[in-house]
Amino acid sequence: MTGLGYTLPAVASVAVVCAAELAVLRTGLFRRAAYWAAIVIVLAFQIPVDGWLTKLSAPVVLYNRSATTGLRFPWDIPIEDFLYGFALVTAALLLWEYQQSRAEGQAR
Amino acid sequence: MDHYQYLLLMVACLAATAPLELLGARVYRQPGRLTRAVLPVAVAFLIWDALAIAGHVWSYSPRYVTGLQLPFGIPIEELVFFLVIPVCGILTYAGVQAVARHLPGRRP
Repeated sequence: MTGLGYTLPAVASVAVVCAAELAVLRTGLFRRAAYWAAIVIVLAFQIPVDGWLTKLSAPVVLYNRSATTGLRFPWDIPIEDFLYGFALVTAALLLWEYQQSRAEGQAR
Repeated sequence: MDHYQYLLLMVACLAATAPLELLGARVYRQPGRLTRAVLPVAVAFLIWDALAIAGHVWSYSPRYVTGLQLPFGIPIEELVFFLVIPVCGILTYAGVQAVARHLPGRRP
């Protein structure tokens, strides 16, 4: 495959998650300082964890070179992983908040 | 022990975030809400995983996984990853909110 089989889905996953919030869920998560603080912390911890999984000296996960941009930073982490991680964690946080907003709506 | 590397890394993530619950995150104490936040996301990412494995976008070193697999060649470690990482993300977010509640004059 020549079509960046990881890069494009990774970008799309972020777009889908953002669109889900803005168009459907409307939890207000993106306006919360606690969310952005959590994202920064998660990102900081992603580096050692993901760095371990992707290190080229003894990789746990191996990427098809043609599926990515080939940009790996820091260490050997494919940059696509940061989009992937953002989408994964944000999606879960959106559903976490969505239930809270629904519960509050029902209580009113 | 090499075969348990990926799993042990996930255990380390759970252990590292567990104290946040004691800090007042109240995540594990809402098992229903947590399940409804994490499970749909895990299913979506498992489907992505199956497609990526089938498309040879990424693969897993047999050396660092147990060899236990779900259908479509998904290592059991991936299921654990899709459960653990969102839980860690929610704990981080709820932990930030818990800490913010203790700061005077701040709204999380």
